[in-house]
Amino acid sequence: MKKFSWTRVWGVIIRHLYNFRRTFDRISDAFYWPSLDIIVWGLTFSAISKTQQSIPAVYITNILLGVILWYVVWRGQYEITVNLLEELWSENVVNLFSSPLTLTEWTVALLSLGFMKLFLTVTFTATLAWFLYAVNIFRLGLLLIPFLVDLLIVGWWFGLFVASLFLRWGTKIQTLAWAGGYLMMPFSAVFYPLASLPLWMQRIAVWLPTTYIFEGMRTVVATGSVPVDFIVKSSLLNVVYLTITLGLFISSFHKAKMRGFGHLR
Amino acid sequence: MDTNVLEVSGLTKKFGEFIAVNNISFSVREGEIVGLLGPNGAGKTTTIQMLLNVMLPTSGTISYFGKSLFTHREEILQRINSSSGYARLPWRLSAWENLDVYGYLYRVPNHRKKIKDLARRFDATDLLPILFQDLSAGQMTRIMLIKAFLNDPEVLLLDEPTASLDPDIAENIRDYILGERKKRNMTILVTSHNMAEVEEMCDRVIFLDHGKIFAIDTPQGLARRSSTSKLELMIEDGLKRLIEMAKKERYPYIEKNRFITITIPEEKIASFLTAIGRCGVVFTEIEIVRPSLEDFFLSVIHRRRV
Repeated sequence: MKKFSWTRVWGVIIRHLYNFRRTFDRISDAFYWPSLDIIVWGLTFSAISKTQQSIPAVYITNILLGVILWYVVWRGQYEITVNLLEELWSENVVNLFSSPLTLTEWTVALLSLGFMKLFLTVTFTATLAWFLYAVNIFRLGLLLIPFLVDLLIVGWWFGLFVASLFLRWGTKIQTLAWAGGYLMMPFSAVFYPLASLPLWMQRIAVWLPTTYIFEGMRTVVATGSVPVDFIVKSSLLNVVYLTITLGLFISSFHKAKMRGFGHLR
Repeated sequence: MDTNVLEVSGLTKKFGEFIAVNNISFSVREGEIVGLLGPNGAGKTTTIQMLLNVMLPTSGTISYFGKSLFTHREEILQRINSSSGYARLPWRLSAWENLDVYGYLYRVPNHRKKIKDLARRFDATDLLPILFQDLSAGQMTRIMLIKAFLNDPEVLLLDEPTASLDPDIAENIRDYILGERKKRNMTILVTSHNMAEVEEMCDRVIFLDHGKIFAIDTPQGLARRSSTSKLELMIEDGLKRLIEMAKKERYPYIEKNRFITITIPEEKIASFLTAIGRCGVVFTEIEIVRPSLEDFFLSVIHRRRV
């Protein structure tokens, strides 16, 4: 029987927190790019709404909500993929897994980091949106929570999927750590309604939990009520994808161990 | 020293058609220091990686303390540790931060005090605040050794532990390792290219070649398997006659400025000295260099090339 140790989980978390405070790349990923997104998108729609009187004010709320919530997905996957890359770059995988650390503990640590930094990024971007454009996403209150949880799980399974690819092909495909998540973005109806997509894109979009989450969020903003069917659909899809990607991740880890972690580059 | 703490049976690792480790079996007793030697590509690092469970074997079993490494992984890895002269830790963390992380991973009680104590012992206190990327290779090796001793391991796997170290620090570390063995009956499996170090530290040597065990013996026993000694003479008179005799007996020799070194089977030394005396060869200095572990190592390499 394997004993799960929170002390070892904390060891992995603190390793990445030490790295976070020392690395400008990680700090800019957490604050600089989200700030830029909020500023550029906010200014663009402020300018458009001033010249086009027919555009309702709720549009800017929906756009900024899309920007902020997409960072939940991005943050969840980023903490898994970039932190795995950190270990590959520093050739630390052999050291980590020659200690009693288990794959489960390591994965829990990375998922927890995603959860912790989610608060950091969402609080920061939401405060910026409120400060610059008087858009307060927290007025949605507890209605946000199921959507945030679902989005974080999307980030997790997508991160596990990309991490599985890294365990097989190494840093040759490292750009997926930053860019991979954006593959889903055009299909996820983040800034526009599902119905506005071409039919072929809609056929793909209905298989993504993010589509139901962003459609659902816009419904909440417009009506103030939660579309339960959207949450159920996104949660069910998340369960399926999380199960599949966890299986893929464990299988890739086993194959990497067969080759030897010393060969991971 | 009778209990086996490490038992390896039929260990094999294949990469496609290539066999890196070929059906090796050996055991290491409690408190024993065993050297794992062999030329490059002999399978030493692959074996060490399998012993650390960072590479899975194609077949075979590994047991520590009577328990399988594959079914009791965490329990076993908690009781062992490793260091490599070539391993690296995250470079953007300081030495202290890296060791702090491993203190948590090995769940070492009061690990920060332990890090300070070990740093003092390895003369590395000044290195702790420095980023890992800014340390020299020798300094990194010392930090890796602190990591290796953090959890008071019962079995220590060392891959080239003193590579890149200055001789005085290497000696300090060898002394510490030998002291820990004496104090805690710690078991050590070590690979090294420093033959003198292996002869000094190891009770037994496992010699690998082409992924197979070529020999297991004491360092002295292996050295004796190389039957040739070196006879070094400073010649006052009769150098040409001596060279003719060496050529006639087909003994390889190197001659420079009246000094000559002749490679000769140990049992022939006495008769050869008698023979050159009869021929009037006069020498003023003589030294007989007995075969060493390095000679055995070189003889295996030569045999490989042939």
